[in-house]
Amino acid sequence: MSAIASLFRNDYGADGFRTCSVTGLEVHRSVENYVKLFGLTAVIALAVGGSFAFSVAMTRWEFVGLIDPSSYYTHLSIHAWNLLIFWMVFMEVAVLYVGGPMVLGRKLPLRKLAGVGYVTMLAGAIGVNASIWLAEAPNEAPLLTAYVPLPVSPWFYGTAVLFLLGATIAALPFFATIWTETRDSSRTLPLVAFGAFIAGIVAVEAILGGIAAFSYALAWRIDLIASVDPGIYRQLYWIVGHGTQQINLLAMITVWYFLTHVVGGAVVISEKVSRTAFILYLFFINLGAAHHLLVDPGMSAGWRIWNTSYAFYGAAFASMIHAFAIPAGIEAGRRRRGQGGGLFGWLTSAPWKNPVFASTIFSIILFGFLGGITGVVMGQVQVNMTWHNTLATVGHFHATVALGTTLAFFGLVLFVIKTMFRRDFISDTLASAIPYAYGAAMSVATLMLMYAGILYGVPRRTAEVVRNIPGSEFSFSAAIPIFMIFGVFALLAILSGVLFVGVSVGSLLFGDRLPVGDDGGMLPEGGLHADGGEPIHAVELRGTFALCLIFLGVFAAVYVLNWYLLTQLWSIGA
Amino acid sequence: MSNPLDDPDDDWWNTPVHRRESVWLGLAGAWSLGIFSWMAGFTQFGDQNPIGTTYDVDPDEYQDRVGEYKEAAEETDDGLIPPEDDVYVGAMRFNWDGLPVVLEAGREYDIHLGAYDVQHGFSVRPEENLNKQINLQVFPGSEWVIPMTFDEPGTYHVVCNEFCGQGHRTMHGRFTVVEG
Repeated sequence: MSAIASLFRNDYGADGFRTCSVTGLEVHRSVENYVKLFGLTAVIALAVGGSFAFSVAMTRWEFVGLIDPSSYYTHLSIHAWNLLIFWMVFMEVAVLYVGGPMVLGRKLPLRKLAGVGYVTMLAGAIGVNASIWLAEAPNEAPLLTAYVPLPVSPWFYGTAVLFLLGATIAALPFFATIWTETRDSSRTLPLVAFGAFIAGIVAVEAILGGIAAFSYALAWRIDLIASVDPGIYRQLYWIVGHGTQQINLLAMITVWYFLTHVVGGAVVISEKVSRTAFILYLFFINLGAAHHLLVDPGMSAGWRIWNTSYAFYGAAFASMIHAFAIPAGIEAGRRRRGQGGGLFGWLTSAPWKNPVFASTIFSIILFGFLGGITGVVMGQVQVNMTWHNTLATVGHFHATVALGTTLAFFGLVLFVIKTMFRRDFISDTLASAIPYAYGAAMSVATLMLMYAGILYGVPRRTAEVVRNIPGSEFSFSAAIPIFMIFGVFALLAILSGVLFVGVSVGSLLFGDRLPVGDDGGMLPEGGLHADGGEPIHAVELRGTFALCLIFLGVFAAVYVLNWYLLTQLWSIGA
Repeated sequence: MSNPLDDPDDDWWNTPVHRRESVWLGLAGAWSLGIFSWMAGFTQFGDQNPIGTTYDVDPDEYQDRVGEYKEAAEETDDGLIPPEDDVYVGAMRFNWDGLPVVLEAGREYDIHLGAYDVQHGFSVRPEENLNKQINLQVFPGSEWVIPMTFDEPGTYHVVCNEFCGQGHRTMHGRFTVVEG
């Protein structure tokens, strides 16, 4: 117990504040302790969900064929809920508390609500896991979606609602902070606080949709209503199903701005452009829920085109803005310090051994190239016919969530270990290896999922089809070589995840305590605010421009390839 | 130039945008509008659109309709030969009712998709070329009529790709497309 208690101890002044030796922020004990609490809980969810990644991947790799269909869907459900929801949302509450009260140098207001929110979320998360694990026939495993009218335990819907209510309560202290800061003043919040605020609003929208969807299904399961409409449930469900992933996106981008600045010396090249991009998200990102309804009956073509494109690709445009603004911020910041000449010297000379920096950069690159591009391409109404419910979809969201958000959150957790828990890593070498090992292995596994889905049409959500479809001579055996690669790299990715959890927990328990004032090797060369003095238009941004042109070229190539495959099909549709 | 942890300067809105960022905004904006226009235009000039007509239908009523269709169809060793241009497919745990079916290449059929019990995924591909495949969602309460014209003869395999219960992976059906 004392080991755990010591995790929540730091040298605060009489007023409960201390000055962070890395960011220079005035940090109050109340904020810091809740950030630690939510962060640690998130890592536990990661460990649980990650363990089930093993049985899921080793079953889909039919060469191993680890578990039976009777338990596969249960394992898959636990994998999905712990990683896509619990690991993410617990981290996101922590991100809100960092982006709000911590960046603004305030105490955490409404502390009791933060506590109630935490306990409610925890009870909900445990309840969801228990309801999945203990489900008995005729109830089926819910997977992530719990699509009605497939019978799923009412306990599942009830505890899922509980979790979402808890997350809403936990977000209230953040909103209260923003309210008090801005109510009587014309101040403009720092970009990180602004990004967190937009993430918070998008989160509440998503959560309300989720409460509606799960309550609707619950009412049917406990016979309050006689029938349930699968189409209406799907619309409500995807408000939260996709919406939670948009929270991940916004939280991740906020973390990108935060960490590239603190550990990479990045600046904001244009407050106007970056904030406009967040505003575009606010209005348009949640229309993306329609991505899951593109090949559903009943939706008009106009409805699908408008929503899937987030209104003329308003939100995709916003993401492309960040795709330029964040690397450009690093380039501008480092060039002004005289760090790196040539086209990419600013990038090659960056602190690549700092796992926080490397995690953040890999998150940006891999999210963009693998997750962002495929998301927009598969979100085109017609192309979606070739992606929907294939393993390619699973590849897409492993690129966005398992590579993009998870890597960014790996970076954030490692950063918090140094700056808030004030612990040194048990091994710098192992810590530095995390983003490289995990990023590389998960990228290959993700690409193989995409290939299996798009080139071989292998379906998702099934225990076996590649080597054998029981009762049929047909199978997807042509995809066997793809799965041989997938299986090996999925294992390596899981081992890299174990490395992350091992280094994190090991450092918390056995890492040396950093002396007061020590930056733990987190700060960029020249400190946080090296002053070059040049205005932004005097700084060259040609490295970023070149990278973005490469990105656009890959985007166009993937787009054309997917459309080519589609037009090879027989004629479909009116 | 500012940092993301501090309030920006008072005139942050009027600070000029870097030239290269402006160019990128133009490129990204043009690309966004371009792919929007292509997607919207393809519904008019393209041959592959997940667009059909949907009718609300009681699942039992739909099952009866598929039953009547099967009565009217001719039975062969390779499957049903539809009496007219309408082809009915009823998804149920864990079978595709109405399949296998024998169709003529080059002839346009109205494929009716519906489910009797829970949600299913209608996923079709020719045996010889797995990368030619399409996937449509099917659920009880809706009858979705989508025209399709198979241009190449061969065997087309249908699997379910929406989780519908423990036996989900065994749900398999067939289209046999013969020369018209």
